[in-house]
Amino acid sequence: MLPDVIRLKECDPSFVREVMEAGGQGVSACFACGTCVAGCPTVEAMDHPPRRLMRMINLGMREEVLASDTVWLCASCNTCNTRCPRGVEIPNVMAAVKSIAIREGVQPDERVAPVFYQEMVDSMVRYGRLFEPRMMLMVSLRSGQGVEGLMKNAPLGLELFKKGKLPLRPHRIKGTKQLKTILENIRTMEGGK
Amino acid sequence: MRFAYYPGCSLEASGREYDMSTRAVFEALGVELEEIDDWNCCGATAAYSISDTLAVALPARNLALAEEKGLDVLAPCSECYHRMRKAEYAVRNKPGMKERLEKAFEGTGLKFTGRITTRHPLDVIVNDVGIDAVKARITKDLNGLKVAPYYGCVIAKPPEVVGFESVENPTSMDVLIEAAGARALPMSGFKTRCCGGPVLITREELALGLTSGILKEAMEEGADCIVTPCPLCGVMLDAKQKAAGVEAEIPVLYFTQLLGLAMGIKPKRLGLDKNFVPTDRVLEVVSG
Ligand code: SF4
Ligand code: SF4
Repeated sequence: MLPDVIRLKECDPSFVREVMEAGGQGVSACFACGTCVAGCPTVEAMDHPPRRLMRMINLGMREEVLASDTVWLCASCNTCNTRCPRGVEIPNVMAAVKSIAIREGVQPDERVAPVFYQEMVDSMVRYGRLFEPRMMLMVSLRSGQGVEGLMKNAPLGLELFKKGKLPLRPHRIKGTKQLKTILENIRTMEGGK
Repeated sequence: MRFAYYPGCSLEASGREYDMSTRAVFEALGVELEEIDDWNCCGATAAYSISDTLAVALPARNLALAEEKGLDVLAPCSECYHRMRKAEYAVRNKPGMKERLEKAFEGTGLKFTGRITTRHPLDVIVNDVGIDAVKARITKDLNGLKVAPYYGCVIAKPPEVVGFESVENPTSMDVLIEAAGARALPMSGFKTRCCGGPVLITREELALGLTSGILKEAMEEGADCIVTPCPLCGVMLDAKQKAAGVEAEIPVLYFTQLLGLAMGIKPKRLGLDKNFVPTDRVLEVVSG
């Protein structure tokens, strides 16, 4: 939710730098033209349209930004950044906010997406490749969707299975040790930021 | 011509027929594909939501493996293609990213210098193999089959990262469809509109609404089938057709399947029995 009054005293002026350092390059160049909103396919579901979110980041409204649904509903379609006259890498900005929210354990209203992304990355590092059956199971369990969530995704799983397109066992690559090392190196690097 | 082939996770699962048909078409075109040994997932939309360095390091491991062999990568999945190109772009242009990648690779023996790049099959077929060489291999007449080319979001966006295609009006598939003796429909305003796939898990109704818009446009233009270069779009348009509230079924093919048919490759080798909506209608036109 957007407060009626924005109290600059309660804002965090270092937030915009934090977002840029996490990969959200160019966000400070936004001049609020709204081009990004015009072509966004998921804007109707967002609590803050992309332009407003960019403003909020620049104003340092850290808490509101990290709690926003917007970043989790970005489809990464790259329409906005392709058209932005200021070269703001909007999907990267969205991703940077997501990474900060996950790192700090912020619990946004959107429950499924953060767990989904974390489980995807878990699968990528654990096996080296995506293993969807486990991913979907973990998402249902961890997001509070429970059995209902599993049932929702079951029909597609069954269709895929019938077509011989659903591997039932994960393929574990030989390089998983390399992937674990990479993840640890990155954690060390980012922890020291 | 020879490439380091990167199928990616989707082509091992829901997009198996895209993998089969890509291999078959490239073999027929005389382009060698050597699968990257022990490749890993490209990170898709998840890795950069966890860490921007991880989003570079995951694709870069594959790039490093290909670079060892001195080969450019061929990646059919448009999301993988986009992520690999994005990683290359970051290593070459983002201040400090090269150093961060080196640190991330510490202790793994991996190294990516940026000597090689990633190509999309559409780019290679149209721009390297060339339309004349493709035409020379067409043995079956597609009899004016009406085909709706749907490109999806990220194959052409953002242009500084991918950039073999026009952003708002890509044409590489149109050109191949016409070369194969079929008719490419305009898909006005829908060629690169989002299929909703990335938000299917979080906002099903919104996702299916986007899917349905594309299907309806194709049907209104009178399409016999839709072709796409993206496995996520493939699942949405094909497997989710009923859920998207579209009554009449319309076959959805990977562009390599259609091209393979025109080149006289056996439907079974192109995985045409693996698409969700039966592809008989297309096969009838081709054999009839
Ligand atoms: S298009 Fe770019 S400059 Fe315009 S509001 Fe969006 S982010 Fe800001
Ligand atoms: S990348 Fe995200 S914010 Fe930008 S237009 Fe697409 S869905 Fe909207």
